[in-house]
Formats: sequence, C-alpha cells, structure tokens
Amino acid sequence: MAWLTRRNVLLAGLGLMAVLPGFANPYALFVANLLLIYVILAIGLNLLVGYAGQLAFANAAMFGIGAYTTGLLQVNLGFGYWQALPCGALLAMLIGSAMAYPALRLSGLYLALATLAFAQFTQWVFLNWETVTYGAGGFKVPEVSFAWLGVPSHIGIYYLTLVHAAALFLIAWGIVRSPIGRAFVAIRDGEVAAESLGIDLLRYKALAFAMSGFYAGAAGGLYCAALNFVAPEGYDLFQMVLHKAMVVVGGLGSVVGSVLGATLLVLLLELLRGFKSSQEIVYGALLLAFVIFLPEGVISLVKRRLAGWEEPMRRHAASAEPPPSAAAEATEETGRP
Amino acid sequence: MSVLTVDQVSIGFGGVVALDDVTLEIPPAEIRGIIGPNGAGKTTLLNVICGINRPDRGDVRLDGASLIGLKPSRIAAKGLGRTFQTARLFRGLTVLENMMVGLHLETRSGLFGAAFSSRAMRAEERELAERARRSLEFVGFAHLAELPGAALSFGQSRIVEIARTLIHEPKVVLLDEPAVGLSLNRSAELDRLLRRIRDERGVTLVMIEHVIRLVMEVSDRVTVLSYGRNIAEGRPADIRENPEVITAYLGRALDARRAAS
Ligand SMILES: Nc1ncnc2c1ncn2[C@@H]1O[C@H](COP(=O)(O)OP(=O)(O)OP(=O)(O)O)[C@@H](O)[C@H]1O
Ligand SMILES: [Mg+2]
Repeated sequence: MAWLTRRNVLLAGLGLMAVLPGFANPYALFVANLLLIYVILAIGLNLLVGYAGQLAFANAAMFGIGAYTTGLLQVNLGFGYWQALPCGALLAMLIGSAMAYPALRLSGLYLALATLAFAQFTQWVFLNWETVTYGAGGFKVPEVSFAWLGVPSHIGIYYLTLVHAAALFLIAWGIVRSPIGRAFVAIRDGEVAAESLGIDLLRYKALAFAMSGFYAGAAGGLYCAALNFVAPEGYDLFQMVLHKAMVVVGGLGSVVGSVLGATLLVLLLELLRGFKSSQEIVYGALLLAFVIFLPEGVISLVKRRLAGWEEPMRRHAASAEPPPSAAAEATEETGRP
Repeated sequence: MSVLTVDQVSIGFGGVVALDDVTLEIPPAEIRGIIGPNGAGKTTLLNVICGINRPDRGDVRLDGASLIGLKPSRIAAKGLGRTFQTARLFRGLTVLENMMVGLHLETRSGLFGAAFSSRAMRAEERELAERARRSLEFVGFAHLAELPGAALSFGQSRIVEIARTLIHEPKVVLLDEPAVGLSLNRSAELDRLLRRIRDERGVTLVMIEHVIRLVMEVSDRVTVLSYGRNIAEGRPADIRENPEVITAYLGRALDARRAAS
C-alpha cells in the first residue's frame, strides 16, 4: 500500500470532489458541499485549539456570525453575495482577534467558560434582535447566480466552496510548518517559556483567534449560500460539539486530521439523519470515547500504519513516547522528575 | 560598569514580602550565584528581572536601560534569557524545533511567507535549522535533534533548555536551579558548560542553586538572600566563612532538615 501516501489520498479526494457534480444527485452534492464547509471549520478550529492550545468554544458562534453577516448584508442592505461573503469572514476574524484579550488573562477552563458565554450571547442576539435578525424563524437568502459561468447556482456554490476548502487547507498547511506554527505550539506547550524566548503572547494568540475566526466566518458565508437560509439553531451548542468532535476524532494538532475528522463525522451525520434525536448523544459519546481511548485521533492510527503521513512534529503533547535510549538515560538519573 | 542592575527592588504578595529592598550589580561575563533557604525570594528575583512579576518599588536595568513595565517577550528581545526551576521544553516540538523557537526573535518571514510557504521562508527555515543544529553540537546533543521534546530525560531537557536560551546570544541568562535532579556526571558536565558559556560567549549568568558545591565552584561571586533580603555578597570563599550566612542559611537548612525528619 505504498501508494497510499497522504499526498495521493488528498489529491484523489480533491479529484473526486472536483468531478462529483458530473454524476452525483443534488442531495449527494449538498452533502459533499456540507463536508467541505466542515473541513474548513475543523481546520480553523484545530489551528486555535490543537496548535495554539486555546480552549475556546466560540467556533459555532463565529460560523453564525459569518452566515448572519453574509445573509443580512444581502437581505437588509442590498449587498451582493460577492461583497457580503468577505465581509462575513472579516467580521468573524475581527471579533475573533478581540478574543485574544480575554485569552491573555484567562486560560484553560476559564477561557472555555468565557468563550462559551460569548457563544450563548450571540445565540441570544440571533434569537432576540428580531428587527434585524428575524428571530428564531430565521430568514431566506436569495440564490447566488452563477449565470455568468453558465452553471446552476448549487453547482457554482459547490465549486466556490471547494476552491475555498482547498486554498484554506493549503494556507493552514503552510502556517503550521512555519515559524508561526512553531510559535503556536510553543504557546500551547508552555506559555511562560515561550514568552521568555521572545514570543509575544498577545500577538500570536490574536493571530490564532483571527485565523480561526476567518475560517469559521468564511464557512458561514458559504453555508448561507448553500442553504439559502439562515436560522439560529444552525450555530448553537450542538454545532460547537460537532466541530469539537471533528477535531478530536481527526486528531488535535493535525491539519490533515481535521479533514479526516470532518469527513468521518459528516458521513456519520448522514447515517444518523433519520434519528435526529439520537445525534447529540452519539456525538457526545464519540467525543468522550476518543478523548479517553484515542486522544490523538484517527490520524495517529493512519500515521502508524501507513508510510508518507508523517507531519512536522507538531503533535499534541500527550503523544510522544520516549525512545529506548532516552528512557534508559532517564532512569539512570535520580532526582525530581 | 554592570550589565545587569537590580536597584532597591521590593515586591510583596498579599502579606508576604518576597523581596525587600534588594540591590545587585552584576558586571559582564560574571557567573553570579544566588543562594538562600526555601522561600527566600530567589525565584521571585528572577521573575522580577525577566518581567513576569512587576516590582512594587525599585528598578531593573539591562545595560543601563530600565526593564520595568516591559513584557517578558520585549525583555527577551533586549538580550535576557532564562531557564526555569522545572525545565520547560515544548513537548510537542522536536529538540531541533525547540532550539528554533529560541531563534524566534530572528525570524523575518511573516504571515504571507508562512501561508504560501514562500521560497524566502523556506530558505530562512533551513538557515535557522542549521544554526540550531550547531548550537546542539555546542552542548554535545546533535544526536537528539529529531526526538520530540517530551522524550528527553530530565537532565537532557535541562541542558537543551540552556542551549535554547543561548542560541539567540543573550547578554544575560538567568538559571533557576540548573543542577537540581542531575546525576553527578551530568552535574560536572553542567559545571564545564557554564564556564564555557561565560568564557567563550562572554555571557553573564545569574544562577540560583541549592547544590552548594556547584555554586561555590563555578560562581565568581555569590549573593545570599534570606527572607527577601540580600544578607551577604562576596567571593565564594568569603561567603563560606561569613557567620551571618552560616546562621541564616545553614541554620535554617538544619532546622528544615530537623523538621522534615
Ligand atoms: N505569585 C506568587 N503569589 C503569591 N506568593 C508568591 C508568589 N511567588 C512567590 N510567592 C511567595 O514569595 C516567597 C518567595 O518565593 P520564591 O519562589 O521566590 O522562593 P525561592 O527562594 O525561589 O524558594 P525555593 O528555593 O523553594 O525555590 C514565598 O513565600 C512564596 O510563597
Ligand atoms: Mg525558587
């Protein structure tokens, strides 16, 4: 199975996605579109949580901010989709980077609670600021026309999403292998030490939050056009659990793992489509099972079994097993561990 | 002319006075030992110098410029390095990558270079990796380069942490108990390494140490803290004979030992 390298698998996946509109029915194409949106969401969340180590719970809210901004600018202010989409992504990015300020003082559980409170607040705004957001019922968004390309709207949106997912994947891949990715992991593994080596915490946390906000916001704008509809429950706590589950199942601190996690969970979501009420329990249970039994995610299994999946050593702290030589020396030294 | 000056620094935490009017003048290329019983304020002194804690009163100057109010990352950029009481390698990065974080302040490529894996960024990365490798050679650890930080033994982490701080060529390095938990062999290795850092690199070292043998052997001068006050300072031989030090420090150490047993 030497040909089953990361590069080949990803290229095959991309190729399949590229030709899918040629034979898939509209529903299958919609699911594929959803899959791509979740790939973007999972990669963005993984940059923040898996790499930079910031335990934030606002990804679904950022997703919602992107979707609402893109939708409302069109419906309320007459923007075209092509202006509204970048506005949604940029607003989510700005709000995201503002979160770096609380993240400078809060860590771990406290940051989780603060971001959770922010997420609940955005839900509240979506629900209650009815004159602007249309409340619990949500609102319809006009179809985006791709007549200038001669393709129907849903196919145009599908390709737009595919291009976004591929580009955002490549950007994340570049970032994590750069000095910036190294700084993220340094902050995750030891803030005080990172700072003592000259890493500006505010700057890098803001960058991680901004990037992840941008990814979620762009995903929201694409989702708004895929569904032609925006309503609060698309961006609630269940969504957040879903994003988290994708990142954990795929593998914290792995960009490719995010792609795997999003794919697996979207497929599972489809299998469970008929059992709407059981979905939340299944995702909660899955998240828990992975945290306990396979904390490094599916990607760790793939790396172990197949050649050509090595990533730069940006894995999550729990992972590394000491090689025999170092372990031997460790026992030879006595003293405080 | 001193490279590092701690000028009448005081700091308290709630009711505890951790440092009380402490003054230090440390000339270039000196190894300064800091000793004192547990809770004397040694770690707090380092934290004040490197910007983790802000003093209530007093000033800290590096090459004559005040460091008060600067973030730790800014102070690092001015040429101050430090290691911690418990070694802090980044567990998820390789040893080589850990060393490259030490070169963070010298990276020039920005967000766009990173996002698009630009040629300039990759060239810079190769150059940084090369320097990191050479620094690992300086401490004799080139063979560990590709291991994850989490895989290193306690003693190895210690040495890599020191090398990681040195790579950016700081003027002053603060070491918090570098020898704790080291085997005798490694501890002797550390002696030699610290002297080489001073002699070959001209770096000033401020070292907290409980292992009295190490402090007395490598320090040019020793400062004794007790209850947050600087109670004595001088050459190791003089400190050893100082009656105030013997009562304050050794006396308390004996008390502690009696209490522990
Ligand atoms: N962040 C803090 N908050 C509250 N009290 C602190 C803080 N840091 C230090 N202290 C207190 O200040 C005093 C000095 O502590 P410090 O850690 O500087 O001692 P030390 O000399 O390094 O001791 P050790 O030899 O045990 O490492 C202690 O009483 C400690 O409890
Ligand atoms: Mg201490």
